[in-house]
Amino acid sequence: MAAPGGRRLLWPGRRWLSQAEPAVSPQPPSSPQPPSSLYPPIVASATAKSTAAKRRRLEHFKQRVHAAPSIEEKLRLYGLLQRPKYVVYPQTFALNADRWYQSFTKTVFVPGLPPRAASAAAKAPAAAGVTPGAGTAPQPEAAAPAPARSAEAAAGAAPYLDVRELRALACDALLQETFYQHKPRPGLYRSQEHTPGPFLTQLVSSLAAYLCGRNPLLAASSLDLKPEVNYYWHHGEEVVVHGHRKGRVDPVRFQIDDNPHLQIRVPKQLPEVVPLESDLGDVPVINHKPSKLPLFKRQYENKVFIGSKAADPCCYGHTQFHLIPDKLKRERLVKANLEDQIEVVYRANGIASLFAWTAAQAMYQGFWSEADVTRPFVSQAVVTDGKYFAFFCYQLNTLALTVETIQNNPRKNICWGTESKPLYDVVEDGSVKGFNDQVLLQLVRFLLNRPKES
Amino acid sequence: YPLFQLGGPQLRIFRPNFFMLAVRPGVPQPEDTVQFRVSMEMTKVDIKNYLEKIYNVPVAAVRTRIQYGANNKRNHKNQRVKKPDYKVAYVQLGQGQTFQFPNLFPEKEQDTETQAFDDFKDKYMEREKQRQKGDLRRGGVPDWFGL
Repeated sequence: MAAPGGRRLLWPGRRWLSQAEPAVSPQPPSSPQPPSSLYPPIVASATAKSTAAKRRRLEHFKQRVHAAPSIEEKLRLYGLLQRPKYVVYPQTFALNADRWYQSFTKTVFVPGLPPRAASAAAKAPAAAGVTPGAGTAPQPEAAAPAPARSAEAAAGAAPYLDVRELRALACDALLQETFYQHKPRPGLYRSQEHTPGPFLTQLVSSLAAYLCGRNPLLAASSLDLKPEVNYYWHHGEEVVVHGHRKGRVDPVRFQIDDNPHLQIRVPKQLPEVVPLESDLGDVPVINHKPSKLPLFKRQYENKVFIGSKAADPCCYGHTQFHLIPDKLKRERLVKANLEDQIEVVYRANGIASLFAWTAAQAMYQGFWSEADVTRPFVSQAVVTDGKYFAFFCYQLNTLALTVETIQNNPRKNICWGTESKPLYDVVEDGSVKGFNDQVLLQLVRFLLNRPKES
Repeated sequence: YPLFQLGGPQLRIFRPNFFMLAVRPGVPQPEDTVQFRVSMEMTKVDIKNYLEKIYNVPVAAVRTRIQYGANNKRNHKNQRVKKPDYKVAYVQLGQGQTFQFPNLFPEKEQDTETQAFDDFKDKYMEREKQRQKGDLRRGGVPDWFGL
């Protein structure tokens, strides 16, 4: 025990005594607040070349993203580190792409549309304008089309949806683009943007304007022409094959950059179709590397975008409209003996585009792979090549697709989809032959979809 | 090959050097993908027509790449020896068909006579090695080493 004076002389920096002062005197357990330790907490280094240091850096990054003050800052930190990533194209010529895309996005594909859409259709045309919002009860009604049609045929008055007027709208748009308007012949691989593109734009905008009175959500919506939708995510792990980072275990990075033909964004979210934890099927498991699809890697900006920036009030998605490009048209696939891939093209487009859109919407609300969604995000899409229409509905239940977060995550994303059906048979001599009312009605149902008014 | 232009003569090639060799893939491929080494002059269209017309195999998609043969080995005169380049084709089969490269060297089932003989031979070799090893207490030191 040295004298207190001697100790003070030796204080700056040096400890000659082997007995160090007790750092924390043991407190009685009844005290409410333990005293702060004189030593800082002993944790692993943050800069060493060790797994503990890597874990600590990862934790630090996650805390930075959790504590980001705004959505833009959160997205900026999320996509800060750029590395080579697989670019996923929703409209692809790859064979069996829909199964691969389901495995990348943990999506269950359910053929047919959910029964809620069918029952809403029966109620919306049949019910008067008094109770427009009561049509979203999720009860499967097998006789939905029949009473709808009879009700519409019986009453042609204003509160009921007039199929004749809707058919007239669609036929007008079609004839204007194909028959009445004289356009120069399209060039090579430009026939889709020559006729079906303008027809789709005209059809959707006129239908949306017509149905505004029935669906107040459409009145407050925003219709985007050729918007951009991007999403970046990690799923699975792989070992880096060559380069200066050879041998390290990296997450597999994906990026979707999509340009739908049209998009409707709304300020309120669509209601959920099934509860968050429902299990409607299995996700296909593919044990091969994504490059065997074939899928190629590129390194560029990791963008997450829904079509508008975060400050836009219309931050939820309603419906997307996709136009199949010229290289993936039906005739070309039939000529190349790939008839079974026709539906695959539609399905892959629906799954990938809708996953990117719903996931980007969820990120705009602050959710990400470490902070999983607390409510499901629902969006719809129509994929068409001008004549054939396929309808898709997507429910995003989980964003946690990285290696650590997917382990204890039983939730799966769900995509409902139909096969492609023709809207009309042929256009000749100024009239449309073989018009299919069902397809038009399904389109109208999609546009009339809105959240329950409580 | 000369480029075809509208109205020009149809290109005809007699006795082309078109060959296809099915190989075992080095990395695992999806079930519907078959890997071939093909002649350098063959294109994707040529490969598709070759398989469809000669072997009646439905082909959905073909992807090709050229593998460069390294030029690093040296012979006794210190001249560089090049390994030849070759083209690899990945063919995806149509109509849902799958292909698994067969195991060309399966383990032969031995009958009891040869099995017993092999066991006897192994035991004999073991005993010979033990005898040659010598005393274990000497720790591998040969027996001629000593005073």
